Amino acid sequence: MPSFYNTWLPYIYLYGVGGIFFLSGLVIVKKTGAYNPQNKRHRYWWKVTIFGFFYFMLIHAALILAALYL
Amino acid sequence: MEVHHSLGTSTDWIVMVVYFIAIMVFGAYFSKYNRTTTDFFFGGRRFAWWLIAMSIVATGVGSHSFIKYSAKGFEAGFSSTMTYMNDWFFVPFFIFGWLPIIVYTRIRSIPEYFEKRFSVLTRFLATLLLLFYMIGYVGIGFLTMGKAILPLLPPEFTLFGFHFEITLMGLIVVIALIVGIYITYGGQTAVIFTDLAQGFVLIFAGMLVFVLGLDYLGGFKVFWDLLPTEWKLPLAHFNDPPGFNFVGIFWQDGVAGSVGFLFMNMGLVMRFMACKSVDEGRKAATFNILFMLPISAIVVGNAGWIGKAISIANPSVVPPTTNPDSIFVVVANVITHPGVFGFIMAALTAALMSTVDTLLNATAAVYINDIHRPVKKWLSKKVQTWKEEDKQELLSARIATAIFTFLGVLTVIPFSKFPTVYEAHGYFHSTLTPPLVTAIFLGVFWKRYTNAAVIGTLVGGVALMIMGMYYPRPLIEIFSHGTAYDPNHPYTYIGALYNLFVCALFAVLTTLTTKQQIKLVEKIKQTNHHRLIMSIFVIASIIIFLLIAFNVLSLIVLFILTFIMVGMVVIAANYFIQYNEEEKTDGLTVWSINKAKEYFKGSKLNEREGEKIKVHWKLKEGEDDTIHFSKNDMKRMAAEVGDLVYISDARKYFGGLKSVHTIYGEPHDEDGIVYISKEHFEQGQFVKGKLLTAEKEM
Repeated sequence: MPSFYNTWLPYIYLYGVGGIFFLSGLVIVKKTGAYNPQNKRHRYWWKVTIFGFFYFMLIHAALILAALYL
Repeated sequence: MEVHHSLGTSTDWIVMVVYFIAIMVFGAYFSKYNRTTTDFFFGGRRFAWWLIAMSIVATGVGSHSFIKYSAKGFEAGFSSTMTYMNDWFFVPFFIFGWLPIIVYTRIRSIPEYFEKRFSVLTRFLATLLLLFYMIGYVGIGFLTMGKAILPLLPPEFTLFGFHFEITLMGLIVVIALIVGIYITYGGQTAVIFTDLAQGFVLIFAGMLVFVLGLDYLGGFKVFWDLLPTEWKLPLAHFNDPPGFNFVGIFWQDGVAGSVGFLFMNMGLVMRFMACKSVDEGRKAATFNILFMLPISAIVVGNAGWIGKAISIANPSVVPPTTNPDSIFVVVANVITHPGVFGFIMAALTAALMSTVDTLLNATAAVYINDIHRPVKKWLSKKVQTWKEEDKQELLSARIATAIFTFLGVLTVIPFSKFPTVYEAHGYFHSTLTPPLVTAIFLGVFWKRYTNAAVIGTLVGGVALMIMGMYYPRPLIEIFSHGTAYDPNHPYTYIGALYNLFVCALFAVLTTLTTKQQIKLVEKIKQTNHHRLIMSIFVIASIIIFLLIAFNVLSLIVLFILTFIMVGMVVIAANYFIQYNEEEKTDGLTVWSINKAKEYFKGSKLNEREGEKIKVHWKLKEGEDDTIHFSKNDMKRMAAEVGDLVYISDARKYFGGLKSVHTIYGEPHDEDGIVYISKEHFEQGQFVKGKLLTAEKEM
């Protein structure tokens, strides 16, 4: 069985540190007004960006589990 | 390491030649749509998202990917996909921040943004760094092409009694000649369309290798069971081995690479500039990252995974000692029949050509916008007509492309010393992207970031990066996350974190001390010898930079001198260059995107939502840049006179190729008819009797 260094540590680091960048991006575009919640298309793209983060998170988790247990 | 030669048959060579001729004819057909330098470089800001998204696939996938990711797939398994699945973190910054800015400010190159946001000197520094970056990228493309084609050729041949040995460098020179000729007569529209065709072909060819490989092995289950567990993990080991580890690649590719890719890859930025609107650009970017990149990760890496499985099942067919950079070609040759192998190799090499020609086109755009035009403006007072000037610029662009092709070939020499293309590319990325990435990123997202600060970032950052190369221990070691020290190629990937850190450090220090710098400049100005003092600062800074570049003194002395140098540089920058924060951030940072939009339109925004309508067109008298709809049609589009409008051929498969951006003029009473000028007709290449789609832009 591969070690923690080979499986979940990279995953936690990827979405932990990457998540900080992602979240700060959301906060900055909201604070600066670049994202305008009144605009329908902006609301749509806001949802797409959040979906994308969890989409990749799920894909990576599923692949690790498949490698370990299938 | 096993070296392969003369793979493939004469049928494969015939297929390859036919494919190349077909793709060049295809590109030449679309080059007729280049009417101006704007078309040549940017494709005229008119294309639909799907066309741009597919064309990005060929640029991203074609670039060295089949060779380098198959190599890592063979050595490490599914973790070769890491770099294709770590780009999402910067998407909010890109789609809400940078993308609207590049479209609305109408910048033609990244350095132009630096001039608008900071100063002419900053533009010059950015041009220099960007050209290094892009020429290096061209070099990586040539190296990969050479490594892809070399296994297909014999080690030597005789022609007219002369004996020739086929070397990697010799082959690269021949490839460069072909690429240079193609791009010189193509232009951006041709590139976009050949990339579109190749995007589809590449995905097909890569998937074909995967399916044929699985079939060769006896099905997916056999393939899955053959691979060791470590090979099936999607992320590499955290910090081991130095040649391929997670944490280094996260900082080199996931952070520096992603920001570099989205913010300063001129090839990609020009693709987004060719999109008809910001919203279409957002669609192209998100579709590409969410769907095309994961598919591309399989497409480019699977030959390595199949190769690994075959090397376990049958080591005599694919020896485990095979050169990783040859594995794609070796596996494709093993699992396919003659002709199919030729098709796969043609798709691969043509895609590599796509990447290189996109980059060369982008490099020529930087040259024209950031060197040719400013220098010409400075040297000549002769007034030329718009057409004369454009013709001359097209010629200069073509000559520049030829020169950059030559320089790209030269950069292959240092890159070829790395064990694989992956390592060469990783090192190149982690070294050249951080200064510009930091400068662009903070320029867009931090209003307080000043002209003096960006100069301090570039000069100080580069100085400490050079010191990092001379003294990886202890400078980069502090950031290594436990990655082992490899004396031949120290900290290939994690070096990116150190480089980003030192650039960001100077950015923050110099920005936060702006008030103190200005006070000091004021004090110096009050002295009698202020000009002399400033000249001494500049000369001393140059001397210190040279001492660092040639590593003349000890680490600690050079380290202290770097901080002194940056101090003098920012003081001199404040003294010589006027910087008005309000003026220089207006419409140029994420804080004022609506202003940028207003400047783009030239009048107040009309953001009421309207319909897209279909209309017939008629030619009008006069050549003014307005088109005329009926009052009712204007109402349906929620448009007013003076608003911006986009009209295109209603046949969707053209993807905006036949289209024009223009302005609403005074309305008439004929519903379903738009009156356009002869210039609109020629520019949009509209067809008589065919409907147009019209939509209000803003």
